Order: sequence, then structure tokens, then C-alpha cells
Amino acid sequence: MTDDLAETVARLCATSQRTYQNPYEAIAWPEALDRRQWFTLPSFISLHGTPTWEAMTEDEQKVLSFWEAVNFYSLNIHGEKALMAGLAGRLYQPGMEAVAEYLHHFLDEENKHSVWFGTFCTRYGGKVYPDRKVAFPQEHAEGEEDFLFFAKVSIFEEIVDRYNLAMARDERLAPVARQINANHHAEEVRHLVFGRRIVEELWRQGAQRWSDEVIAGIRAHLAAYVTATWREYYNPDVYRDAGLDDPWAVARDAWGHEATRAHRDEITRFALRPLAAAGMVVP
Amino acid sequence: MTPPEVRDALRSWIRAHNPEVPEGEPADDTPIIERRYLTSLQVADLLVFIEELRQAPLDPSGLRPGTFRTIDAIHDAFFLGS
Repeated sequence: MTDDLAETVARLCATSQRTYQNPYEAIAWPEALDRRQWFTLPSFISLHGTPTWEAMTEDEQKVLSFWEAVNFYSLNIHGEKALMAGLAGRLYQPGMEAVAEYLHHFLDEENKHSVWFGTFCTRYGGKVYPDRKVAFPQEHAEGEEDFLFFAKVSIFEEIVDRYNLAMARDERLAPVARQINANHHAEEVRHLVFGRRIVEELWRQGAQRWSDEVIAGIRAHLAAYVTATWREYYNPDVYRDAGLDDPWAVARDAWGHEATRAHRDEITRFALRPLAAAGMVVP
Repeated sequence: MTPPEVRDALRSWIRAHNPEVPEGEPADDTPIIERRYLTSLQVADLLVFIEELRQAPLDPSGLRPGTFRTIDAIHDAFFLGS
């Protein structure tokens, strides 16, 4: 482990201990929610800028913003489930001893986030949207699996944080949605710093011994991961719950619309900046 | 849709998402995961396409890689009796 990573781990552990919080006291949960409020900022709603969006009344857009929030929180729950499984599997794994202390905090904080997301989804939406991902077994070069795990975590969290940051600050949002996004952002900032440092370290170690073919495969996999991550933001289940006809066509049309592509491109460029700077992905 | 139409739609989807699939492939029994014509990162998107073909949502819980091993297997898992 480099001195830089060791210093980062020590600093992040100290902050996690100092700001340790009870997840059951962090959010003021209303008894019931009026869905005619904004729960997702309009510009972050997957249909924003499309003809479907333009044809909706403001009340219909607000109801859609509620189900978009349920989807965003569901994506986070599924992402965090995989993340927690991966972090738990790497606790005290040979080669990871030096970061084990922070992995404990990372795990603890991700579990708290899932409590917030799960509470919102089940209490106000009556459900968590199901995860459509299926993992296929795959062979990896030495060190590749750990690198891909943390690199994908980093990409996922960088995208999510752009949403959290925007929604934590905007007073148009229902207070409960603002609080969830603000609390998530406050802890994710540390996870992002850790993620950037550990992927740099694992890349530095791996890139010296991986073949050109393995490196090309890693880059292709991460590019496909970015696309797969974004596809889940266009969920037909959301459009059905918001009362839209032919939800699959709505999802397909929204994905292909230039306004949504511009939104994804802008956030992706930002999210990939740390990995692109180190040559891990081609921007 | 008839079973051949469903299989052709699935084949077209796989070809559209993997430009490197050779001409004439995949056949109904081609091992599409083994040949890497279908990757795990594409499954969620494929499931949405399958829902659209069926015009009905599906329950993705409990799905295994074997469900997607060939076009025949996908057809049998999601379209038999639908």
C-alpha cells in the first residue's frame, strides 16, 4: 500500500468515527406523503426533455418524480447489496489488510443508506423495484476481479453522487427526499475518495502484469458497465406506476432521445474523470 | 407472436447489441453465453426487451445464467404458455 492510500484510510476512518450516526434518527419520516410534490428534480427525471414529458401536466410530472425516486433508491439498494457482499468478502482478504479498518466503516455506512432507501420505498411506494441483473461466471486475471469491483463501485457512486448533490440543495424537493439525498451525499463523499485511491492502487499493481488483452477487456467491460448502469434509470415499471401507456416504448424512446443522451453524457464525463485521468478508461 | 417470430426477435436483439456476431449466428441452440454473444451486463436490458415482446412484466427473482444459455432456453423460459 502506498503512503498516500494509508494516509487516506487513516483520515477517512477518523471522519467516519467522528460523524458516526444512528440511521433511525437521521431522517424525519412523515406519516404519509402527498405525491404532488417534487421527489426528483425535473432535470434529473429520465423523461425530461422528451415529447412524453412535455405532454404531461405538472401534477403528472410530480407523480412521475415520486416513482423515479423509488427507482433511484431501489437502484441504490441493489447496488449496495452487491457492494456490501463484495466488501464483506474482502475484509481481511490477503492484500486488503491495510484497508480493512475502513472497509468496516464502508460496510456500516452502506447498510445505513439501504435502511433510508428501503424505508422510503416500502413506506411510501409499497415496494422496492426488482433487480434485473444476472451475474454470469467469469474467469479473471490475478487482481482483475478486485480492480473491477472497486472500479464499478466508483463509477456507480460517482453517478449517484451527481444526483444526490443536486437534490440535496434544491428547495423544490419534498424535505424527506432532500434529507435522504443530503445524508447520502455526506457519507458518499468519503467513499468516493476511498474508491478513487484504491482503484489507482489496484490499477498500479495490476497494469504492470496484465497483458494488453486483459487491459483491453477491462476497458471494454467498464464501458459496458456505464451503459448498463444508465439503462436502469429508464425503468418501464416506473412509467407504468406513473400511469403512462406502453411503458416499454416510453423507455425505448426516452433512451434514444437527444435530451436524455446529453444528460447522461454530461454526468458520465464527470463520473469517469478520475478513471480516465489514470488511463483506466478511454473517455 | 409465433415461436419462430420470438426466436428471430431475440436473434436480432443479440446481433444488434453485438456487431461482432458472425453472419448467420446465433442459431437457436448456439451457446450464446459461452461465445460471449450475451454478457451479464446486457441481461437487464434483454429482460426489458423480453417484457416488451410479451407485453407483460416478468419476475426477475431467481433467474440463473442457464436461463439465457441459448435462444431456445430463453424462449422456453419466458414464452412457453404465455
